Amino acid sequence: MNIARALRAVRKSIWVFHLNSGSCNACDIEVLDALTPYFDVERFGVKLVASPRHADVIIFTGPVTRESLPKVVRAIKAMPRPRLILALGSCAVGGGIWWDTYSTLGGFKKLEEILRESGVEVDRVVYVPGCPVRPEAIIYGTLLLLGAVEQKVRSSEVAVPEG
Amino acid sequence: MSVAKILEMALRAGRVTRRYPYQPPLLTPEFRGAVRIDPSKCWGCGACVRVCPPNALTIRSSGKDVTLEYFVGRCIFCGMCAEVCPAGAIEVTKEFELSAASTEDLRTRLVHRLARCSVCGAPVWTEAELRAVVKASPIAEEYIALCPKHRKERFAKAVALRLGAEGE
Ligand code: SF4
Ligand code: SF4
Ligand code: SF4
Repeated sequence: MNIARALRAVRKSIWVFHLNSGSCNACDIEVLDALTPYFDVERFGVKLVASPRHADVIIFTGPVTRESLPKVVRAIKAMPRPRLILALGSCAVGGGIWWDTYSTLGGFKKLEEILRESGVEVDRVVYVPGCPVRPEAIIYGTLLLLGAVEQKVRSSEVAVPEG
Repeated sequence: MSVAKILEMALRAGRVTRRYPYQPPLLTPEFRGAVRIDPSKCWGCGACVRVCPPNALTIRSSGKDVTLEYFVGRCIFCGMCAEVCPAGAIEVTKEFELSAASTEDLRTRLVHRLARCSVCGAPVWTEAELRAVVKASPIAEEYIALCPKHRKERFAKAVALRLGAEGE
């Protein structure tokens, strides 16, 4: 399969599946908000679907609780390639407030390692910080995933000035 | 419901959809986005690190310098760091367009130089913090470039001299 060609095809319109891996539900409510006519992410051809088998993108929330792990892996495995993931909220990005609790993996990064070990490849991930993410941040993240906007944040290292 | 009724309701409501990103976002005055640390104000004291609930702020010393790291991917935007910062170096901005293709892009680092004891060379703390201490209490200047052990020694010697002991 030609992944590069498939990725270009995805640009037209994307179908998303909403996957909650144990979030507090605030991010999920913001996802609904982004889909309502008020923020209306459907303007960009984004449509919510009920099965990961139909999805181009998984909207991923939550820090991946141990309880949800097998189901999450199954859902991502069920997705056709190219697998695109929009990791929403501080939980999914860096574990958030649950980053070192015994019952979570601490975000998508760890899950990605587990997926790789079990042979499930993910083709592109966009991380969207926020607690909860605001609907506009979800729209921005989606546009970044589709390559319609430029990434604003960059890693930086600044030395404290002398004197 | 009849089509006419729906049309009438739709006309009454008008257009509600926001046009973001072609229109400014709906930010309220209370909205808190990413924090920004001013490199020229920060002391490197670590008060913000202690208070940060998800450890989005971390500080570590390499023995050569002290690095304060802000990982916005874990920040919960509570603003507690800005409240507690003694130097007023942290500003809560309205920045929310923080999406990135890798978590490394979400890290910003501030590197402080480590001051050393003028007698034994042991690391004391950041130069910026020592400057701030001298500014707040100029009398501290004589002791500032010393580690706690040599500071104690010098102080004990000064007291002894005052009490009439013989100088060296
Ligand atoms: S990022 Fe914050 S709002 Fe979103 S699921 Fe986690 S705790 Fe809840
Ligand atoms: S001066 Fe403020 S920003 Fe710098 S380390 Fe201390 S609390 Fe944090
Ligand atoms: S806003 Fe809250 S979570 Fe974010 S860095 Fe400051 S204290 Fe930590």
